[in-house]
Amino acid sequence: MPTLIKDGAIAADSWATSAETEDGQRPLLPPDTWRATEGGAALLLDGDAEPHDDFAHAPLIAIHFPEFKDGRGLSLATLLRTRHGFTGDLRAIGDVQPDLVHYLMRCGFTSFVLPDGRDTAVALRSVNVHRHYYQGSVTDPTPLFRSVARG
Amino acid sequence: MYRYDAYDQAFVDERVAQYRDQTARYVRGELSEAEFLQLRLRNGLYIQRLAPMLRVAVPYGTLSSTQLRMLAHIARHYDRGYGHLSTRQNVQFNWPDLEEVPDILAELATVQMHAIQTSGSCIRNVTTDEFAGVAADEVVDARPYCELIRQWSTAHPEFDWLPRKFKIAVNGAAHDRAAIAVHDIGLQVKRGAGGEVLVDVYVGGGLGRTPVIAELIRTDLPEAHLLTYLEAILRVYNRYGRRDNKYKARIKILVRAMGADSFRAKVDAEWEHGRDGAQTLTREEITRVAGHFQPPAYEPLTDQPDVLGDARLADVDFDRFVRRNVRAHRMPGYACVVLSTKQTGIAPGDVTDTQMEQVADWADRFGHGEVRISHEQNFVLPDVRQRDLPALFAEARSAGLGATNLGLLSNIICCPGGDYCSLANAKSIPVAEAIQRRFEDVDYQFDLGDLDINISGCMNACGHHHVGNIGILGVDKKGEEFYQVSLGGHSGHSGNEAALGEIVGPSFARAEVTEAISRILDTYVDNRVEDESFLHCFRRIGIAPFKERVYANAD
Ligand code: SF4
Repeated sequence: MPTLIKDGAIAADSWATSAETEDGQRPLLPPDTWRATEGGAALLLDGDAEPHDDFAHAPLIAIHFPEFKDGRGLSLATLLRTRHGFTGDLRAIGDVQPDLVHYLMRCGFTSFVLPDGRDTAVALRSVNVHRHYYQGSVTDPTPLFRSVARG
Repeated sequence: MYRYDAYDQAFVDERVAQYRDQTARYVRGELSEAEFLQLRLRNGLYIQRLAPMLRVAVPYGTLSSTQLRMLAHIARHYDRGYGHLSTRQNVQFNWPDLEEVPDILAELATVQMHAIQTSGSCIRNVTTDEFAGVAADEVVDARPYCELIRQWSTAHPEFDWLPRKFKIAVNGAAHDRAAIAVHDIGLQVKRGAGGEVLVDVYVGGGLGRTPVIAELIRTDLPEAHLLTYLEAILRVYNRYGRRDNKYKARIKILVRAMGADSFRAKVDAEWEHGRDGAQTLTREEITRVAGHFQPPAYEPLTDQPDVLGDARLADVDFDRFVRRNVRAHRMPGYACVVLSTKQTGIAPGDVTDTQMEQVADWADRFGHGEVRISHEQNFVLPDVRQRDLPALFAEARSAGLGATNLGLLSNIICCPGGDYCSLANAKSIPVAEAIQRRFEDVDYQFDLGDLDINISGCMNACGHHHVGNIGILGVDKKGEEFYQVSLGGHSGHSGNEAALGEIVGPSFARAEVTEAISRILDTYVDNRVEDESFLHCFRRIGIAPFKERVYANAD
């Protein structure tokens, strides 16, 4: 079973964990279908999608990573958070790699689905690998040089 | 030079701990090959043809003597007693044990060094002029900007998983020794009318299989906006750069596909959002970082033409050393010295543990404890008192670092090639050696004058063959090693505009290469006018006479 991790802990909800919807799950819809659906549906985006302001109405946006080393979803997440007013749950799905979770979180993801066989404990640890980073991020826009007195 | 504060130190220490955990999980079979590959690359570890290769970052080519001694220790303790100076100013170890790499990184961290982002599809070590801070022709010291970029690009949340590797070079001198025209981003830092620092931004240059000279996309960017502007470029690249074909994934292909004007428009539109944001550099931060690069306490000296003149008359080799390997320093009585690693029979850039320690000692005794690595794979001592030059030369000569060949034929830039690199089409080191042997005569080399020969073992162009006056590229012809020769390339130093070499014609078997080079040199000698350099002669007469002579039937 894929594992959902949300706000730093193992969690469960009724959204699908991929483009495929299983029994009892609520679907993740690509933009065209999503726009044609009544409110309350979740949106599914590929990393190369263009972000739009109306996406802010979705309760959940899932960004699909075809490969963990494909960083487009990181830029897309950053834009949704910083430029298009999205404040709901932002979820990484697809090939999510546990050691890379700190990149996801700093780009504004709030949850992710770890595929089978990937180490949940590592993913939970990864969030706290570093106490400080040099540059600003979605979660902490202030770069180190503005937030502390440096030597 | 830059000294870590508690934040820098904590970051590298945490990174070592993280990588130690990743290595242990890999060894226990808990991390797949594909996952570990990406993680180890971002910590400098390649798996090469024969063994792992660890590439240690030497930020913008600057090392303290303490750091160099640590590299000597690593060479001795974890490797086979030598290391390799790379064309990107880094140091590579060819024989580390994969399981010992976390220990090596931990040792490096004790002297404020790391191997973060020295490989992989991320922002790599920033490079600059090896004479930054001391060059007589310097306008702005590039090192503080390099350090600001180093910090900004380290584990960037958004830009560590790019379509391909990404190289940034900064130049602050009148002559471009950083080759900014052939980098993904090249930055020229300069002064505006009021003395303020401005940046010209070039994008989309690169070597590799599609060599391109970069486009100028922004002039006169105020320094405060440097990072927000870089962020705009990187975001456009990260989102739109190709990921379906690794040969088309560099930013140069994107710039070309979009056209420089639309690319610039896209970046500017992106920048409108980020400009004046939190990442905008503050005066305090620029001043803080620049404060790490203040000149050392120079003695009030005067230039020493007499002392040097006598020594030069007494020793022809010392005279050659001064002519070729000693460069003008901004302070009277001082000099910048290049210690060449290019000795015939030694792979270009290879240095032993003992040599590293000797260089560190000279840096302490004759300078201010600082050493540079040049993209030509040599050591630079940036602050030598002129009166110490004879003593330094004598020691360097007996240590095997006294070759007086800077800028001459035998100072060959050469990648590790087929002897070490699993991507190679052909060996490069034996070709360099064959050329050095054939044209051993130092007088002949001096007579030829300035001549850059650059050799790469494959299209990836780590040996910068496109910008060699004579470039040699290993190619594979039905499983056999062949070499393609190009002429007239130039990386942009010494006031000549950067140019890519032109291929002279069909490639050569390894045994034919030196004969071809010999004919090329003869063509130059026969055609040159007065003191005309090889490059200028080539630019004047074109490739035809060279071609004709090289392929003339020898029978
Ligand atoms: S140019 Fe090719 S052969 Fe040489 S080091 Fe680079 S990848 Fe290896």
